[in-house]
Amino acid sequence: MSLKTPSAAPDVAAGPPGDAGRPRSTYRRLPHIPHGGLLLVLVLVAVFTAVQADAFTSSQNLLNVLRQVSVTAVIAAGLTLLMTAGGMDFSMGSNAAVTLCVAAQLLARGWSTPAVVVVSLVLATLIGLVNGLVVTYTRVAPFVATLASAMLLDGVALLVLDGMSVTIGDKMSALGNDEVAGVPYLTIVALLVLALTGVTMRFTTFGRDAFAMGGNEHVARLSGIDVNGRKLALYALAGVLAGLAGLMLLSRLGAAAPNTAGLQTQLTAVAAVVIGGTSLAGGHGTVTGTVIGVVLLGVVGNALNLLQVNSNYQLVVTGGVLLVAAIVNEFQRKSSPGH
Amino acid sequence: MTSSPTVPDTEKGTAVSPRRTAPAHPAPQALVRVRGVTKSFGGAAALKGVDLDLYPGEIHALMGMNGAGKSTFVHVLSGVHQPDSGTLTLGGHEHTGLTVRRARRLGISSVPQRRELAPGLTVAENVLLGDLPTRYGTVHWKAVREQAGRALSGLGIDIDPDRIAGTLTVAEQTMVEVAREVRRGGRVLILDEPTACLSARDADRVRDLVRTLRDEGVAVVYISHYIDEVMSLADRITVLRDGALVRSAPAAELDAAALVRGMVGRDVVSRRPARPAPRSESGLAVRSLSQGRALRDFSVDVRKGEIVAVLGPAGDGQSRLFDLLSGRQRPDSGEIRVDGRPVPPGRIDASLAGGLRCVTGDRRTLGLVQGLTVDENLMLAGDRFARRRLHRVRHLARRAAPVRDTYGVVALTGNPPVGTLSGGNQQKVLLGKWLETAPVACFLEDPTNGVDVAAMADIHTLVDDLAARGVAVLLASSSPEEVMRLADRVVVVSAGRTVAEHDIDAITRDQLVTTALGGQPQ
Ligand SMILES: Nc1ncnc2c1ncn2[C@@H]1O[C@H](COP(=O)(O)OP(=O)(O)OP(=O)(O)O)[C@@H](O)[C@H]1O
Ligand SMILES: [Mg+2]
Repeated sequence: MSLKTPSAAPDVAAGPPGDAGRPRSTYRRLPHIPHGGLLLVLVLVAVFTAVQADAFTSSQNLLNVLRQVSVTAVIAAGLTLLMTAGGMDFSMGSNAAVTLCVAAQLLARGWSTPAVVVVSLVLATLIGLVNGLVVTYTRVAPFVATLASAMLLDGVALLVLDGMSVTIGDKMSALGNDEVAGVPYLTIVALLVLALTGVTMRFTTFGRDAFAMGGNEHVARLSGIDVNGRKLALYALAGVLAGLAGLMLLSRLGAAAPNTAGLQTQLTAVAAVVIGGTSLAGGHGTVTGTVIGVVLLGVVGNALNLLQVNSNYQLVVTGGVLLVAAIVNEFQRKSSPGH
Repeated sequence: MTSSPTVPDTEKGTAVSPRRTAPAHPAPQALVRVRGVTKSFGGAAALKGVDLDLYPGEIHALMGMNGAGKSTFVHVLSGVHQPDSGTLTLGGHEHTGLTVRRARRLGISSVPQRRELAPGLTVAENVLLGDLPTRYGTVHWKAVREQAGRALSGLGIDIDPDRIAGTLTVAEQTMVEVAREVRRGGRVLILDEPTACLSARDADRVRDLVRTLRDEGVAVVYISHYIDEVMSLADRITVLRDGALVRSAPAAELDAAALVRGMVGRDVVSRRPARPAPRSESGLAVRSLSQGRALRDFSVDVRKGEIVAVLGPAGDGQSRLFDLLSGRQRPDSGEIRVDGRPVPPGRIDASLAGGLRCVTGDRRTLGLVQGLTVDENLMLAGDRFARRRLHRVRHLARRAAPVRDTYGVVALTGNPPVGTLSGGNQQKVLLGKWLETAPVACFLEDPTNGVDVAAMADIHTLVDDLAARGVAVLLASSSPEEVMRLADRVVVVSAGRTVAEHDIDAITRDQLVTTALGGQPQ
């Protein structure tokens, strides 16, 4: 049995797009390059900095930028998936801070590195899971619940350190400072995480469930998706990635000091994800966009340092970049068919 | 619409330009003059040079199949979309495009195909949205309630202005939107399928309202798929097909058969076929289901291969059935059995595992993920049942293709987000999504909501086939025609109670309508 409505056949689709599809202004072309506007901003910033400060293109500096953005990238990757599913986690940076402090203390007490890695990742996962439980089984908005846990965890991190700095000697320093074929280990870890996230979002049912949940949770539930289970998994995943970011940061710094990572780091990651075009309301997000967002923020931060801009202006500029990027994204979304 | 119009073969849908048709109206001055409007999305044309004249005091019906471009056209008119080319002349000025604000200022108001009330606000706030009366710089709530109450009662709409918009039924939402637009006092009122899922009674009220407005001199653009409705209401009818104007003529010069032919390009036949007799075993049994005041002590037994209709005004008990049967909500009491096995109440997974498939009448909020593609929406449930772990676009497209084909889903471009499809095509996607997942029993809520004549016939055939495959089908409907066409038995509900039950052979359509209305407690 085949039921077709003959006259409704979209013969137009095959026809020459010629006259009808002519764009009226150039900005209508932008949507055809994904993240075109954003890439343009990134290139402009990079070129401007390279011209203004020679140090920008030195390999030392570039490696430094790569190491810096790698940590943010790991957090941002988890956040992209979570936000696509309509969730939000403000506590990942603070989770990273707690992990970092606990790991430092344990290492300082002579635990073996593998044991510390396992313990801290488990701890981070549990923290994420608790967030997930609160968000899923109470009706508290993720925004509120995770903001609360961010503050709470920032406090816990301070308690763990007890106001002191804890150094870990040269344990884990290879991860933080070495490189293979000119690429820092940290960056390789970050790229792996990003790639896995990207593949998950595109090619697995788990990832597509995230899109469905973010797009319309009711429909997702009614279609037989275990929405609660998925949410728990996603928050736990955000937790474990936060833990990983904490360990990466520890390996780079070689010490845990008060107020490392925390809410400020998280806000940078959130900004990067939003710049990358992931929807705050859920249902839409790409890892590519997040990568561009992370790199853009990293490069801007670095440029401000190199150009010796007064540190008071740095936040102002970063905020400005966030705003401009968000506006560019919105333009592209509006002018593309099917919003 | 379930009749089978036969058209003499000589009748060809020749394009008659409205410019050459002398307006049969006493006021020859067109209020709005649209010329050669084209609009394409991503290179595919949705409108190809459409001309239209709107006269004051005239109801101008716009007809065409799903995806013909009706909504796109009125979007151009109301400034939502800017045309790629073409002009709109109104108030003596020629415009190449309008913005929503501009259109509003020029007196064009519109009630879109999908209802767009702010769900968190009260009815009163929604009616006065953007124009809240203030006193001393703050909102004057008493006046808000009074003015909204007046706007509603002036149109004979009986809705408490203090209710939250999110709790309104679709019928009530339509009324509130009409009231809002009427209150703003436009010269042109656009109604995009205002009666798409209203009961005969509510639809009558909307139509009366439209006539009143027409008599006051408003130019009404009225989109509808109901041919009888259009024939009885419209003064002038314009038929679109594939984005092009097929015919525009005074209603008196057209008949139902010519209209169908103009829209579809062929005759449409939808007759009750001979279906195999229902089997003896029960497919879906509902025992004394109750929830609050919405549904009281509702029982029905659907045998395998049988179609039982629940007829009631839109928003009555039958709409609550979706929530209860799908497991979204837990009934206060009652029992559901599928295939003889009890289904634990209030659990979506249990309901699905039992083989019960519920197709919502509210496809926007409960049916489809608007941002996902057509293929993904089609396979959303099926792939989850099959416990697929991997998602590959190519494979997905291959699995979705036959479903698209069977259900006649048409998109301008390959595989766009489902939200960009025309309303009727979205409805087909929704049906395809659920009916291809090996159901034991199906609950269908207004399955032909917003679909064109041809698609309606197609969907009726699909439901027939579903029953013929031995699926127990419970059909919630607000249309007596549809019930007569599809059902073996009909249960009439009113105010949450069952008021009558009939075999379809033992009742005529008119008797059915009378029962449905007679059951209304006054
Ligand atoms: N924003 C959009 N992006 C891409 N395609 C679109 C968009 N809006 C409409 N279309 C396409 O344009 C065509 C015309 O759609 P339109 O909504 O005007 O149909 P319609 O006549 O109102 O149909 P229905 O009776 O089903 O509501 C459809 O094929 C639809 O898929
Ligand atoms: Mg439409």
